[in-house]
Amino acid sequence: MTKEGTLSLRKIFEEHPERRYIMFGGKGGLGKTTFSAATAYWLAKQGHKVLVFSVDPQASLSDIFQRDIFGKGAVEIIPNLYAQEIDADQRIKEYQNMIRRKILDMYGLEQVPEEIENYIQAAAAEPAMEESAIFDAVVDIVVSAEYDYYIYDLVPLGHALYYLSMASVYDQWIDKITALRAEMEEYSQVAAIMQRKKETEEDAILRELQYIKERINKSSGILTDRERTAFFFVVIPEEMAILDTKKAAGLFARYDVPLSGYIVNRVIPETLAQQQIPDYLRHRLEMQKGHLATIKRELGDEVLAYIPEMERDITGLGMIEKMAYEMFGG
Amino acid sequence: MTEEEQKKPGFLETAKSILYGMAGHDMSRYALKTRGSMEHLFILITMGDLLGIPILPPYYSLRILPYVVPQISTWKRRMLRERDLTDALA
Repeated sequence: MTKEGTLSLRKIFEEHPERRYIMFGGKGGLGKTTFSAATAYWLAKQGHKVLVFSVDPQASLSDIFQRDIFGKGAVEIIPNLYAQEIDADQRIKEYQNMIRRKILDMYGLEQVPEEIENYIQAAAAEPAMEESAIFDAVVDIVVSAEYDYYIYDLVPLGHALYYLSMASVYDQWIDKITALRAEMEEYSQVAAIMQRKKETEEDAILRELQYIKERINKSSGILTDRERTAFFFVVIPEEMAILDTKKAAGLFARYDVPLSGYIVNRVIPETLAQQQIPDYLRHRLEMQKGHLATIKRELGDEVLAYIPEMERDITGLGMIEKMAYEMFGG
Repeated sequence: MTEEEQKKPGFLETAKSILYGMAGHDMSRYALKTRGSMEHLFILITMGDLLGIPILPPYYSLRILPYVVPQISTWKRRMLRERDLTDALA
């Protein structure tokens, strides 16, 4: 069972080398980070230059690689394999300072006016600020185009959907205000012609809006790019997980996220049943059988791999290598 | 303008100014006034949370902030003041 599954996951990568943005989505704690790390490891061993990065403020790449990489940019783990955890707080601080500097420069001020300073600080305290900052940082990462593969260690489902909906709402919203801004520009020009001024000042705000729009389109464009993105759902053979995943898959489909398939994690090896095992484990196995049947019936061919429950936590390169073997074969 | 020019503007210049005063001035005043209202509308929808109306994701509204610093105080006054009859005459 594991063997054929293994091959289909590998086949996706071999048949679609153009899919350079790899994402694992699913409920929290099902193994997204593990799969991200193992996939990155396998691709790097195949000779590709890979960056695995976390968009989760509570990132755990540091834990899985057993190295503190938080806020340190892309850190080389092994040759070709780079990992990055974005420090959202740091990024927000730098961004605030950039805005302050811009205000001081533009108006030749010594100090940012109190009302404005309050606003800058209040804005940074908004909960959405962290998400937006990471969202924006991801754009910096992917536009650099330094790597063959970008592996997103995604946030749990709810947040990922929030990103997607944020992108489409932002997009429409910015279209509207860009149109308003352009109309304002026309009135300025009318007045300028009447007053026989040669030309109006270029609208810096309009330029800024177009920049924001471009950034947002870039990141949401990748999430929904059928050519270059592979999105995998992680599920485990448990009732709640299956139900939630199906629901989420429907929502993702509505945002046009190209779903490449499902990976079933934490499958207790069935061969155990032939051994002397306690009733407790036998019941678990029995229950799992039912859920696996549900998964087969409902997801069928879309399941690319069944990954066995490991005997210990997956941290450190040794265990990551083992996991990569389970996912992709040698 | 230098004093020399102020003393004896050319006939054509004078004619242009008169024509502008008769026809163009009102139109350009109207255009600028419309633009002014739109400017405030624009700031409201981008910077609304200054008034307690969260509209734009704050991360991106900060990018716009430097450009609207001079308008912030007049805009707040305009948005928050009570309306009365004299507004119609303005």
